[in-house]
Amino acid sequence: MAPQTDILDLIHESVVTRDAGGRVLSWNAVSEELYGWPRLDALGRNLHDLLKSRHDAPVEELEARLLAEGRWEGEIVRTTASGQERVLDVRWSAERDVDGALVRIIETARDITRRKAAEDALRISEYRYRNMFQAMAVAFWEVDFTGVGAMLIPLRDQGVTDLGAYLHAHRDFVRATMEQAIVADVNAKALELFGATDAAGMIGQNTARFWPRDSEPAYIDALVATMTREPHLVTETQLLRLDGSPIEVLFTVSLSQENRRRGVLLIGVVDISARKQAEGALQRLQAEFAHAARVSMLGELTASIAHEVNQPLAAITTSGEASLRWLANDEPDLDEVRGLAGRMVADARRAASIIARVRAMAERREPERIALSLNMLVEDVRTFLAHELRAQDVGIELNLQPDLAMVSGDRTQLQQVIVNLAVNAVQAMAEAGVPDRTLRFTTGALPDGRLTLAVEDNGPGLPPEPGRLFDSFFTTKASGMGMGLPICRTIVEAHGGEIAGETIAGGARFVVTLPATS
Amino acid sequence: MPAKPLIAIVEDDDSLRPALIGLMRSLGYDGAGFVSAEDFLAADALGTADCLVTDLQLPGISGLDLAARLGGERERPLPVILVTARTEKSIDERGEAAGLFCLLRKPFEADDLISCIRRALDS
Repeated sequence: MAPQTDILDLIHESVVTRDAGGRVLSWNAVSEELYGWPRLDALGRNLHDLLKSRHDAPVEELEARLLAEGRWEGEIVRTTASGQERVLDVRWSAERDVDGALVRIIETARDITRRKAAEDALRISEYRYRNMFQAMAVAFWEVDFTGVGAMLIPLRDQGVTDLGAYLHAHRDFVRATMEQAIVADVNAKALELFGATDAAGMIGQNTARFWPRDSEPAYIDALVATMTREPHLVTETQLLRLDGSPIEVLFTVSLSQENRRRGVLLIGVVDISARKQAEGALQRLQAEFAHAARVSMLGELTASIAHEVNQPLAAITTSGEASLRWLANDEPDLDEVRGLAGRMVADARRAASIIARVRAMAERREPERIALSLNMLVEDVRTFLAHELRAQDVGIELNLQPDLAMVSGDRTQLQQVIVNLAVNAVQAMAEAGVPDRTLRFTTGALPDGRLTLAVEDNGPGLPPEPGRLFDSFFTTKASGMGMGLPICRTIVEAHGGEIAGETIAGGARFVVTLPATS
Repeated sequence: MPAKPLIAIVEDDDSLRPALIGLMRSLGYDGAGFVSAEDFLAADALGTADCLVTDLQLPGISGLDLAARLGGERERPLPVILVTARTEKSIDERGEAAGLFCLLRKPFEADDLISCIRRALDS
């Protein structure tokens, strides 16, 4: 036995032999290490008692199987001398003599404790994942991505460095990748959202049918994120149900290491149609509101507008009278009459353009987005308010910075903001009975590139509750709805800007800050 | 009068001023236009005009202030006809105090303006 024991000590597995009664006959070096029992302590002991062998089935059953079949292999849990649990992969062989009597049982064992722990952790994690996948109120898809990867990887070898640009330029290729992306699994919420009666209706399908043409840019973003290993992508887009009807969704792609190894993308889809509808309704409501306020503000300016139109009308009448007198002469001066007639036409056109401008301000339109000059808007407003300013004896100062960048926005809306601020200033100065009333417009740019327009007056300054200035229905004026400033703020913020008011030495200042066009 | 009467028109609206001058010419008068009271005062017209037609609202001092200032400017006072769109009663009183020859409300009938001017020239 001695030579064999030496060899056994060189083996990297635990080798233990025992007799028919289960008592330890040999115990190699690895067994000492593994179980913590020195050879002398283990020899002669009952193996299963010593190590507290445990299995799902009783150990006796395993022994019985061993005797019947001559071998057994499986996993056994044992406790070491220091009380630690180990999971072992064991193999037993029964050695018999020529008469068939059991001589001894030879066991080899390998410690698989760590591997088992990892497997268990994975199984638990997988279980949890599956539970969440199914239970989530978010629609989840697992999409088999391997076919798509196979299409994309060769692109690098072909010299494509900007994947996004390539995909945008090759939409047929993009469609082809959609056809290679196969639905591997979907949860209950996904079935509901996309209108499938059961999972079989979606599993195995390629994803092309779910992507409308206009949503391809979002799909391209997802592909690029996958290939550049960005772990999470979130974007808004529109997808199609099984029946082809569109849904507004929030679309997220989770690209965890593990999923990537499996060649699978986890896609989350949240239905935001309700939110989109609410946003749409809110915007329409705001537009109606702004329209109502615009019309109401126009009411305040009616006297000024009527006067502006009456001037050219009076001129036309006067020129008409003059023409009639010339024509009543014995020798009419036709050159004079011609001049008068020409002037009448010009005045009629001027009246028409004033009316058209007023109509444009009162009309309900979709806001436009064009490049505008802040300085020109101020000049427009000065022209529009010229009469009102004269009537109220308000001097006007313009400090307009030349070569200012443009702002992107709706001309009518921004004019409305400036007019409102100016009218507020004029009314404040009038009510306070200020002599030497001055309205100052200053344009400029901030270091961060944003544009500013300041409207200053030398009236009494802001009311005692400046924080409520922009609240709806807050007004200190005897007449007026208090809608002007809140509407101004809505418009300015819709243009990506800010508006603020403050009292300054000798009056009030309102500053509108707007982003410049890029 | 040997020469044609000169009617000074002080009106800042660029449509109405030329139209009024045209009307004066159709009546056989000469018309001279000014965009503000200051322009009129600075020009020679003060001595040579036979009648002044002015709007109330002007860029600098008002037509009423102009009329009041002209009160003691010459031997023979310059008749001033004030035209205005404002409707306040107070303007009538102030107009009287300033010695206006005529006060007309806009929109005015051309005939009314013409008869005022004729009476002013005859006085």
